[in-house]
Amino acid sequence: MSSGDLKFYYFDLQARGELTRLILAAAGRSYEDIRFGFDKWPEYKPKMILGQAPVLELADGTQLPQSLTIARYVAREAGLAGSDNLESAKIDAVVDTQKDVNETYFSKVFPEKDETKKAEELKKFLDETVTKHVENLGKLKKAYSKDEKYFVGDKLSWADLFVFQSIQALLQAVPEVKGKFGEQFKPLMDAINGNENIKKYLDARPQTAF
Amino acid sequence: MSTYKLYYFNTRGRAEIARLIFIAADQKFEDIRYEHSEWSSHKNEMPLEQMPVLEVDGVKLPQSGAIARFLAKQFHLAGKDNFEQAKVDAVVDTIADAMTQFLPIRFENDETKQIEMVKNFFANELPKHLQNLEVLAKQFGNGGLFFIGNNLTWADLLFYEVTETLLGLNKNALDNHQWLKQNRAEVEKQPRIAEYLKNRPKSQF
Repeated sequence: MSSGDLKFYYFDLQARGELTRLILAAAGRSYEDIRFGFDKWPEYKPKMILGQAPVLELADGTQLPQSLTIARYVAREAGLAGSDNLESAKIDAVVDTQKDVNETYFSKVFPEKDETKKAEELKKFLDETVTKHVENLGKLKKAYSKDEKYFVGDKLSWADLFVFQSIQALLQAVPEVKGKFGEQFKPLMDAINGNENIKKYLDARPQTAF
Repeated sequence: MSTYKLYYFNTRGRAEIARLIFIAADQKFEDIRYEHSEWSSHKNEMPLEQMPVLEVDGVKLPQSGAIARFLAKQFHLAGKDNFEQAKVDAVVDTIADAMTQFLPIRFENDETKQIEMVKNFFANELPKHLQNLEVLAKQFGNGGLFFIGNNLTWADLLFYEVTETLLGLNKNALDNHQWLKQNRAEVEKQPRIAEYLKNRPKSQF
């Protein structure tokens, strides 16, 4: 299978692109991982369907925008989106729950320029948002997991990869968050870090600021 | 035969898309609506202490997007294959981007501030999302009046639902967007939807 039949366009960052790269890695799916710096964005922007990135481009040139839509599509193609509609929905519910927290960080903490305000927002985020979120993830895992490890059923899904990536990204941005997740996700993180395909990808991926 | 219960407040909000999918698909469901005063006594029955929640054969699903996508797939309103479903999801996410910008306005308590925010939203924020939706319709629709292919999907229902709220605040919001207006008209005239719209309780949001 040539890598030319799937192209993924995104900045040379993790941010909103890394989840798809992780899913494709887990699936052992080859693709062209097109990365660009902000300086090159004016060249790429007019070629993207909505003038935004990431974009997934198929062999026939059709483009898909929207990071989570792309992730769900490649996950489904790779069998990482649940074995039936209800499992897919449980996975979506975990993804949406993680997404809500990521968006809270990106809208309330990340853009705050005033140092004092930022510290306040960060404290609120850690004490309230993250605390509640860890509880919520625990509840969903209890309701949907069959093996105490993966979030839904008993195999890896893109929900696991999204939580994994989000926690890693948050740890990189806010080291203080380390203790908040406790031990309950350790089996999952170990399983993902130990997955052969993912390990290969993680060892080789470029280091980026975020 | 599965049994479905939908739990939400007595308003359109984040549950109406699910209700519209049930109606469009002519599927039965228990439409449970809690007044705000009774909500606190039911809060800990819900997985994330939030609503909407869909209960399918006893399994509870939170998150309005996950619920809507599940129902649409159950009832063949989600696109006919994985790629079509992705196109539907792309339109849904683009609509959601617009509504994420709208949400702070909805909950702004200062009336003067809220009026300014509404004006700013319609003048400076909404247009680019409407343009994006038109781009997607052109790419994904087959030259017809639905967003994807030639059939009604939940993307059309969601667009109808959110623009109901927006048009309630600014009846001219879609004046420069002929195709989007026609898409709404197409949804409105689906027989079961038309009947439902005639009889459903009115709500601003």
